[in-house]
Amino acid sequence: MFKKILIANRGEIAVRIIRTCREMGIATVALYTVADRDSLHVRLADEAMQLHSAERYGAADEVLAVARQLGVDAIHPGYGFLAEEADFAERCAQAGITFVGPSPAVIRSLRNKVEAMDVVKRAGYRVPLYAELPEGELDEAYLAQRAEEVGYPLVVKSARGGRGRGARVVITPERLAEAVATARREAEMIYGDDHLYLERVIAPSHYVVVQILADAHGNMVHLGEREGSLLRHNQKLIEESPAPSLQDEQRQALWRMALDIAHLFHYQNTGAVEFLVDSAGNFHFTEVKARIQIEHAVSEMVSDVDIVREQIRIAAGEALGRSQADIHLSGWAMQCRVNAEDAWNDYLPSPGLISRFRLPQGPDVRVDTYGYVGCEIPLRFDPLLANLIVKADTRDACVQRMRRALQEFRVVGVQTNLPLHMQILHDEKFAAGDYDTRFMTNFRFETKCRDEEVRQDLAAMVAVAYTLRRRIGKSQTPERIQTGWHRSARRLPV
Amino acid sequence: MNKLSVTIDDKTFEVEVSAQQGTAGEFSVYVDGEPLMVYVPDADTPEAVDWMIVDNRPYEMVFATDMRSVQLEGLRHNIQVRDRETRGVRPISGDGRIKAPIPGLIARINVEPEQKVEAGQTVLVLEAMKMENEIRAAKAGVVRQIHVKPGQTVVLHEALVEIE
Repeated sequence: MFKKILIANRGEIAVRIIRTCREMGIATVALYTVADRDSLHVRLADEAMQLHSAERYGAADEVLAVARQLGVDAIHPGYGFLAEEADFAERCAQAGITFVGPSPAVIRSLRNKVEAMDVVKRAGYRVPLYAELPEGELDEAYLAQRAEEVGYPLVVKSARGGRGRGARVVITPERLAEAVATARREAEMIYGDDHLYLERVIAPSHYVVVQILADAHGNMVHLGEREGSLLRHNQKLIEESPAPSLQDEQRQALWRMALDIAHLFHYQNTGAVEFLVDSAGNFHFTEVKARIQIEHAVSEMVSDVDIVREQIRIAAGEALGRSQADIHLSGWAMQCRVNAEDAWNDYLPSPGLISRFRLPQGPDVRVDTYGYVGCEIPLRFDPLLANLIVKADTRDACVQRMRRALQEFRVVGVQTNLPLHMQILHDEKFAAGDYDTRFMTNFRFETKCRDEEVRQDLAAMVAVAYTLRRRIGKSQTPERIQTGWHRSARRLPV
Repeated sequence: MNKLSVTIDDKTFEVEVSAQQGTAGEFSVYVDGEPLMVYVPDADTPEAVDWMIVDNRPYEMVFATDMRSVQLEGLRHNIQVRDRETRGVRPISGDGRIKAPIPGLIARINVEPEQKVEAGQTVLVLEAMKMENEIRAAKAGVVRQIHVKPGQTVVLHEALVEIE
């Protein structure tokens, strides 16, 4: 087994990986940028090194240099950044360092989403209609023709893809050129690769993925499926396992199909085989996520398998040591992604200093986060602040548990989407498990309080708060001493 | 006795707050004549207050630093306090300045000086947390001044564009 692992990531996933490493007796190396120095992963690691180059956590050269300098035997890329980078995985191997993930060849064959769909389509599975776009400036007539072949509505996606970034839905041809230009810019900014393709939208639909574990000895198991149909701007907000939209027979068929597809690519390590389920119940393969996913904990809760531990064991060449029959899926798990963003202000990111932070506790509640009181939420990175995961015997109990956990979760200093989650969890359709990818489009964020007693109490509290603040505002300090001194300088830094 | 008019969203309440009495942090308050007891922890540092008890009902809330809004039980309410003795009203921003709603980097500017804009028209694009955020005009008017350039980083609430 490895002695020391470098975690080439930040945020809640870096904390998550450090936890398992520590339980396995493996030393950890954390990386950080100046903006990120306050994050929890830096404090928890055995060693921490600052990154200086502009690519930050995506800086392959610098990450490898640190790995060599500190003598690590493996690098865990987490998700995003250097995960799914075949060249990086290859360079790790050349340096005698194990990359915790699939082999460079497997990453390469899955990295281009269009090529992966070609392989799966040839093997006889359903995939959505798609068309690849060549690189560089595109002739409008050519673009229109490709779009016509796919049909509207369609989605413009990055071939490099992932995390819903750089994807744009186009409903009518007039919007196509603009959407392609924006998607190209975003893809270039996020992935450093502006290769795009068009894909026919399947709507209404359900997003389901099957979590796979595969070792180097030919053993492969699944940990059930997850549903991630609750999206806002192509980003998943809530995930759950099992998928409420599937019947048991469908589930069995989906698992088999996912394992077969993973075998097509000779898949190794952990991954997620992703499908769209149309209203007739057909599964359309979309891609294989060749890395750990943000929502992996949902599968961990229902399967009792530590996916990060398995990833590390597989990377070290160990056998899975369990067959499908040894994996017992039980209960219901759900995850809410808590983002530092403002639901009342068009979901703009909300960076800042956390002044209060109270995590939910109690039975079967788990929070993976890099935040704590005094921690700065940096502007530079993704707004994901915490994953809140709960488990219960049934979906109803799981929804109830999530509601109470959301109520306990308190963050002051930055705005979060906790109020949005709370309202979704109270939505009748969601509570009944009756939702698809259109849910958030139709969802109206409630802003009015209808409870008269609460309003009356609130008036009393506002009056007291105002009176107290005014009293403090009327300072005892003489006016002349205050001159030239900005009042807001007294406030906590925002 | 401090007499205030407190407006929560669209409803106005007449509120009287007595001086702190007896136990520290306890205030007796009349809302439209109805007596309520309010307990405030940290009464000495009002900026840090994030929960109170009204009679036997505990509440957790977050007041905006400018006291123009408060969040309670997953909802955000606009508030306005009018002091009936001094007749002072807390100021409301109604000028045509578009300020940065978040710190970030100016990616693009879509308007020119003296250009007419419609309400809701995208004025510029602010990049933050790897997302492009379109900043739109709150009302129709003419662009009088542009204070920023593409590539420039801006701080929270920095004035970006003035529309008249």
